[in-house]
Amino acid sequence: MFKKLASYLALAVTYVKLNFLSQLEYRGAFLSQVVAMFVNDSVWVVFWVLFFTRFPALRGWNVSDVITIWALAASGFGLAHGICGNALQLASLIARGQLDVWMLYPRALLSHLLVGRMSATAWGDALFGYVVYLVMVRPDCPHLLLFVLLSLSTAVLFVGFSVLSGSLSFYLGNSEGVTEQWNFSLITFSTYPATLFEGWVKLLLFTLIPAGFVSYLPVEALRQLSLPHAAAALGGSVMVLVAGVSVFYHGLGRYESGNLMEMRG
Amino acid sequence: MSSWQKYPWIALVAARSNLAYWGDVASRFIFLGVVLYIFLRLWQVTYAQMGAAELGGFTLAQMLWYLVITESITLSGPRVAQAVDEDVRTGVLSVQLVRPMSYPLFRLSTTMGERLVRFVMNLLVGSVVALVFVGPIKLEGAGCLIFLLSVPAAFILDFLTNFSIGLGAFWLEDTSGLLLIYSRLTMILGGMLLPLELFPDWLQPVLKALPFSSVIYGPAHLLVHPDWSAWADLAIRQLSFILVLSLFVAFLYRTALKRVFSNGG
Repeated sequence: MFKKLASYLALAVTYVKLNFLSQLEYRGAFLSQVVAMFVNDSVWVVFWVLFFTRFPALRGWNVSDVITIWALAASGFGLAHGICGNALQLASLIARGQLDVWMLYPRALLSHLLVGRMSATAWGDALFGYVVYLVMVRPDCPHLLLFVLLSLSTAVLFVGFSVLSGSLSFYLGNSEGVTEQWNFSLITFSTYPATLFEGWVKLLLFTLIPAGFVSYLPVEALRQLSLPHAAAALGGSVMVLVAGVSVFYHGLGRYESGNLMEMRG
Repeated sequence: MSSWQKYPWIALVAARSNLAYWGDVASRFIFLGVVLYIFLRLWQVTYAQMGAAELGGFTLAQMLWYLVITESITLSGPRVAQAVDEDVRTGVLSVQLVRPMSYPLFRLSTTMGERLVRFVMNLLVGSVVALVFVGPIKLEGAGCLIFLLSVPAAFILDFLTNFSIGLGAFWLEDTSGLLLIYSRLTMILGGMLLPLELFPDWLQPVLKALPFSSVIYGPAHLLVHPDWSAWADLAIRQLSFILVLSLFVAFLYRTALKRVFSNGG
């Protein structure tokens, strides 16, 4: 079991290295995308700083808490798609019958497929997440350690959710539009304080759009340095991942080959 | 057909082809609905917490209607820069140059046609959301008129910037970073997320003088707070920026055309 896990980790590390080197072939484009994403995320922090300058608290949450949300969402999303760059492409890969090439390898299909590509802009998100947390929140050692763990938990959630939403293509044909909107909804809700929402919307944030595991439980864990909140966040992320993997392999039975001639460089 | 008559027809064809893809149109509505709902909650909580009927001169209803307009303008923008970038990189531009029409005017016509359809659709959906959650605001005929007068100039101004960024493909490895930075600057400095009245007092005149606010804040503010002198002021700024940017685009386009090489066969 551990040997198998170590083998897949080594595979993931090798893919990350290779993908990184291939991105560096277009160094200018790669760097400009990373910088642009960093600037993109910074604009939102500027918005929140301006907002809290005018209105100092939002249901007990202050600017630090909202920056923590952004830091967690960005670092989690960045790690998820920087490493598993194919997760966001899953719907189109399935719809176009492009899984065939990945089925030929002697590796578990999903984990191998996910690490096969890297999103360049995702590294801008990841970099932003850690830098903004260190510079603007200025955590002590325990908070920083917990933040790193929670960013990994958030990354697990984003990968699991992308797999879940992308797997809809097995059932709906081409689900790219629905998948994209569902992912957008998760990202959007993940970057606003969950305390803004009540009733059925709050329920939605822990089920259909599991943004509560990004924007509520991890932030509460960091605010109170609370391990139960952190464990609940991690538990939620693992559940989303398990749901995504289950739906993917269930849907795989309905997959139809595209008969595409494809080469991987 | 005279040399100018073809451009309105191009705009009409673009508008009609945009209406053909209902799935794409509907998927954008979901995102608009989600964003407006989140903003509604953010401002509902803020107004309640401050115990204020007005913030920055806006009531809650006016704030949501303002955001309906800013989001409708922003989300209606077609992918002009990406299309120009692609035309340059794939060599399609050399085919366009053979046609008996100006390439920049062809792109402007297509953009205006597409954008008009998207803007009207977004406005309808946004208005439904606003009516359901906060009800109507007092609208005057004159207010609607000056708002409608200010929108086309805002679209042209935005087009010119996007077109310039697309032409950057002649010199840059990748223009997506530049585009992302421009769109985010428009979001924050143009007043898409916050009306400029909520920015620090010293910053407001600077932001109002920048072109970003002429694209988003200006038209949206006119609908909520109609004022002929404010419209005249905005119109002068919009026309000045259009003139300057048109000259810049003309210079950039001529310089870029010298770099076009095409091989027939």
